[in-house]
This record gives sequence, C-alpha cells and structure tokens, in this order.
Amino acid sequence: MKVSRRTQAFWIAGAILIIAYAIIPVLWIISLSFKEGDDITNKSFLPSTWSWENYKTVFASDLFTTALRNSVGMSLIATTISVILATLAAYAISRLDFPGKRLVLGVALAITVFPVIAIATPLFDLWRNIGLYDTWLGLIIPYLSYSLPLSVYVLAAFFREIPWEMEQAAQVDGATAWQAFRRVIVPLATPGVFTAAILTFFAVWNDFVFGITLTSSEAARPVPAALAFFQGASQFSQPTAPIAAAAVVVTIPVVILVLLFQRKIVAGLTNGAVKG
Amino acid sequence: MAAIEMRNIVKEYGDGFKAVNDISLSIADGEFMILVGPSGCGKSTLLRMIVGLEDITSGDMVIGDDRVNEKAPRDRNLSMVFQNYALYPHLTVFENIAFPLRLNKKIGEDEIKRRVNEAADMLELHEHLERKPANLSGGQRQRVAMGRAIVRQVNAFLFDEPLSNLDAKLRGQMRTEISRMQRRLGTTTVYVTHDQTEAMTLGDRVAVLRRGFLQQVASPRELYEQPVNMFVAGFIGSPPMNFLPAVVSGQRLKLPFLETDLPAIASGKVTDGQLLIAGIRPEHFEDARLLDPSKRDRGVTFRAKVDVTEWLGDSQYAYIPFEANEEVTKQLADLAAELDSEALRTQLIISIDAMSRLRENHEGEFWADTSRMHLFDPRTGENLTRDEAAAADLASYEEEELRERTAQ
Repeated sequence: MKVSRRTQAFWIAGAILIIAYAIIPVLWIISLSFKEGDDITNKSFLPSTWSWENYKTVFASDLFTTALRNSVGMSLIATTISVILATLAAYAISRLDFPGKRLVLGVALAITVFPVIAIATPLFDLWRNIGLYDTWLGLIIPYLSYSLPLSVYVLAAFFREIPWEMEQAAQVDGATAWQAFRRVIVPLATPGVFTAAILTFFAVWNDFVFGITLTSSEAARPVPAALAFFQGASQFSQPTAPIAAAAVVVTIPVVILVLLFQRKIVAGLTNGAVKG
Repeated sequence: MAAIEMRNIVKEYGDGFKAVNDISLSIADGEFMILVGPSGCGKSTLLRMIVGLEDITSGDMVIGDDRVNEKAPRDRNLSMVFQNYALYPHLTVFENIAFPLRLNKKIGEDEIKRRVNEAADMLELHEHLERKPANLSGGQRQRVAMGRAIVRQVNAFLFDEPLSNLDAKLRGQMRTEISRMQRRLGTTTVYVTHDQTEAMTLGDRVAVLRRGFLQQVASPRELYEQPVNMFVAGFIGSPPMNFLPAVVSGQRLKLPFLETDLPAIASGKVTDGQLLIAGIRPEHFEDARLLDPSKRDRGVTFRAKVDVTEWLGDSQYAYIPFEANEEVTKQLADLAAELDSEALRTQLIISIDAMSRLRENHEGEFWADTSRMHLFDPRTGENLTRDEAAAADLASYEEEELRERTAQ
C-alpha cells in the first residue's frame, strides 16, 4: 500500500507531538536534578552550571539508600511470587475446565478496579493488629493481590495461543503433566511471562499509596514514599532538586529492566510449531 | 511392538452423541492398519482413544496383554504423529527428536545421541539437526515429527492424517517413505486418513468407518472387489463406483442403456420386479471399438450419448448422463452427501482407452463388464453379490503375506 505524502507528514507530526508530550517532563526532571542550590529559580530549562551536588545529597542520606534497598527487595520478591502464581493460575484457567472458572476471572478483574485508597485504611488497622505494619511482608501481600489479576489475564491470553497439540504431543512422548508444563508450555509462554513480570514490577516499583500508609519507618518504606520525607539542604529550602535527582535514580533501573526484557518479548515464538 | 485389540469401544459425548459406536477391531503385531472414512466418522476419535488423549466411555482397549483404558498416554508406550506435527518450536530438530528420550532419566547422553542420529539417518535430517522447526519446510517438519515418533522403542506408531498438510507431490513421496519405514521397523501402525490413495497403498488392512460404526475391515483389494455395502463401494475407488437403478425382470436385469442376466449369486435374494442399485466401476467400461475381442463376452455393449470427456494422457473419462427415478436419485444424493461429495446429476463416469477419439455430444458404442457388477439393496445398502469365498481367499492371501513379513 502506498502512503501519500500528506498522510505520512500527518503521522510524523502526530508522533513528534506525542513523544514531546511524554518526554519533556522527563527531560525537565533530569535538568532540575543537575541544578545547584538556588539555581532552580533560574527561569531557564537548562541549569546555569551542571552539578552532581543533588546526587551526592541523595546518596548521602540514609533515608534514600534504605528506601532504595526496600524498593528493590520488595519489588523483586513481589514480582517473582506474582509471576509464579499467575503462571500456574493462568494455566489452570486456560486449560482446565472447572466450575466457577468465569467467576474466578471476574473476581480477579473486580479486584483490579477496586480503588487502592479504599483498601489502604482498613489494611492499616488490620496490619497494626496482627503485626504486619511497617514490614516487607505487610507491603508485599497487598502488592500481590493487586498485581496477580493482571498477570493472570496476560498469561491466560498467552496460554490460549499455544496449540493443545503441543501438550498432547508431550504427554504421548512420555511427559507427566508437570513435565509438559515446565518443558513445553512455560518456554513457549516466555514472552507472556516477561510481559507479566514487567507490568508487575512497574506497578510495585511505582506504588505510593500502600508505601506511605502501611509504613512508619525506614524498615519497609519504599522510594516513592520516602521521597515525600525528603529534606533539602536547609530546613527552609524546598528539596525540589534533590527529589528530582532521586527520581532520576529510581527511573534508571526501570529503564534498564525494560531494555533487557524487551529482547525476551519476541513475538511469534510459536512459529513453526504447527503447520503453516 | 504389540498387537492392539479393541472390544466394543464406545465414545459418547456429554450431549449423548456417539462419535464411536461399538467398534471391535484387532490389529496384529506388526500390521499396518488404516482407519478411513469421511469427515466426522470417528476415525480420529478412535485413534485418540488408542493413544489415551480421549477417554473411553465403554469397552476394552488392550495393547499387548494389558488393558490400558485407565492408563495415561505416557504409560501406554505409543508414539504419535499429529496432523499439524506439533513440534516444539523452542527446541532444535535434534532436541525435538531427543525429547521423548530425555524424559527417561535412565537413558544416557551417548545413547540419546546415537539414537537421534540413527533416526536422522533414516529420515535424512542430518543437515537440519541444529535448526529450529520455524526454519524448516513442511516436508522437513513432517520428517522431524516422524523422527520423534521412531526414536523410542514403542508398542505402536499412530498417525493422524500426517500428510494432509503437504502438497500433492510431497505427499506421494512421504507416503512411500512412511511405508518403507514401517516395513523396515516392523512396528504395529495405526494410520488415520481420509485420503483413499493413502488407505489403499499403505495399509495391510483398512477399516472403513461411517458415523461411528465400523463398516468393513479388509485388505484394500477385498474392499475394492468385494465391498460389503454401498457405502464402502462408493467410498473406495476414484473416480467412484457408478450406481445405476436396476429392475429385476425374471432372470434378467434392466439398467439404463443396457440389459443383462441376473448374476447367479443374487438370484435367490431378489424378487421379480424389485428395484435394485447396480454398481459398476468406471474402469469396467470401455469404448467398444477399442475393446479387446477376448473380453467382449464377459459383458454387454450399449449405445449412449457422451456429455463431456476428460483426456488425461494416460487415461480418459467420459460422462454419460442418465435419468433415474426419484427414489434412486434421492438415495444416491444421500450417499454422496455422506461421502463428502455432491451429486449434481445422475451420470455415468466411465474410464475409456486414452486412444479413443470419442467426441463430446456424440453417440458412441460402449462395453460394460457386467461380470464384475455388484448389486445393492437400495434400502439397506447391503451388497447382494458379495462373493464370500473370493473374499476369504483374498483375506488369507493377505494374512500370509503379513506373516511372512513379520517373521523376517
């Protein structure tokens, strides 16, 4: 199909607009993070002098480094557990016929549309009573309940794409149900597993509401919540620039993660499995 | 290797539909058995019940000496080639073939390598061993699927329409390949197909199924020459057998275009004036002018107007339309629908010598070998002229051949 010059120009203009819309705030944050002292009031986009001062402040403060450790730890644990559980659940939903299957999917979806803030207050009370308040586990549990449904949905869609015969062939070849699952189905669903993992990781990494309500100390406070407690160089100056630097720092792992996983999400992995 | 014995096998679905209905079939050790029939006849379901992918509603499935009804597929020690091959796309050809061996922890790495190479040798897959299935052609994928099936020592091979996704030329090649492989390994084989060329050329015996019922189990030759009913007669043979209305008149039989003596074998089974359906295969006709004089006495000659001719180089077909009464027309249309074809008009398809210069829309003189004609009861479809003695003779001949082959 030949695309006319006009349509092409239209698409390019649209693309530039959207990219600009998305990237300018990010660039602004980066530029802010390099502004020194009172330079944030310089009324220009770029800093007058580029300085690493804010980054030094950020890493010098215990608040940030422990929060970073909390965030990385909890995100990884929550993602791993979520993906493993979701893989098993999605497999059951796509392959097995059991009563209440639709109900399970419906409830799972209902959980994700539930506003997070509505559950945060009751959880705060509950966690305090049973001693989960301000612990890693106390955050990981709500993270799981919010990320699982989405992962299950994503993975169930992937499993449905895998031809039944793959599994039957494995069974005839002498595999147990578990072997067929692990050696045939999971490798074929790898793109789905990684998609689910990325989505879960993002959701957990960016969480603010649970992070701020269910923690009270550095024991479990994740980065987004910790940023709110940030203090500037002096008590009287707003810590805008150090917060910007911290924001840049926490964005970096996410970017690296996406670039790494992107390679794994190769479409059409099932090519050649069946006739075509 | 083992024999497979099916006793009164039934497959009933939740809605009460019986896909397979009371089928009993024994497949001898080392035999090549074909399951054939039009779509929806239950042939694939039966195969899947043998391998264990489909539950058996009732009846006994015995492989070797074990009743396997409740056994999981992996405990039945069978291998199967799927219609769409079902290769593992994330594994190389080598790993695909090695997959069944890797599941068995007792087999060492050297042994796996040796066996995979052996299978690859037999299927000429050596230069592709490190490739992924996505980069292979249809025929190569098919061979990989076969390699995966033969790499183990199994009780039987099961094929589910393995060649239906290949183009015609490749299909012919693979057919001979499968035949050669089975003869060489001597493994019991069950092969599902709807292609009658495959059925006729590959099988020691062929089981014809219709709507879940077993119609006839016999050697290809017996199916062709002594079919038990109209369904089998119409299913086997291409172009299919011609069915013509025939009216009994004393000791004579009146067909469109021609009249002949009532075959002796049918004489006790029919009454005067009864309407029958006569079946004559296309190749039992000939252009009377090109007929070998020694043959002439076996049949009768008649004149008819040719509608269309098809010249294929090695053979030639002529189409002769005829009028039939409503009852016969309906009967033939029903049969055609069941055989996955469509009877647009009642016509004779006859095979004549390629040398014949018969012209379309002209009348010609033809000869029909009425000694090889079959007569069917239009209501039951039963073959009234089946020669049991000849059939038994063909069966024993076939059995002997199989015995000879498996003894080697």
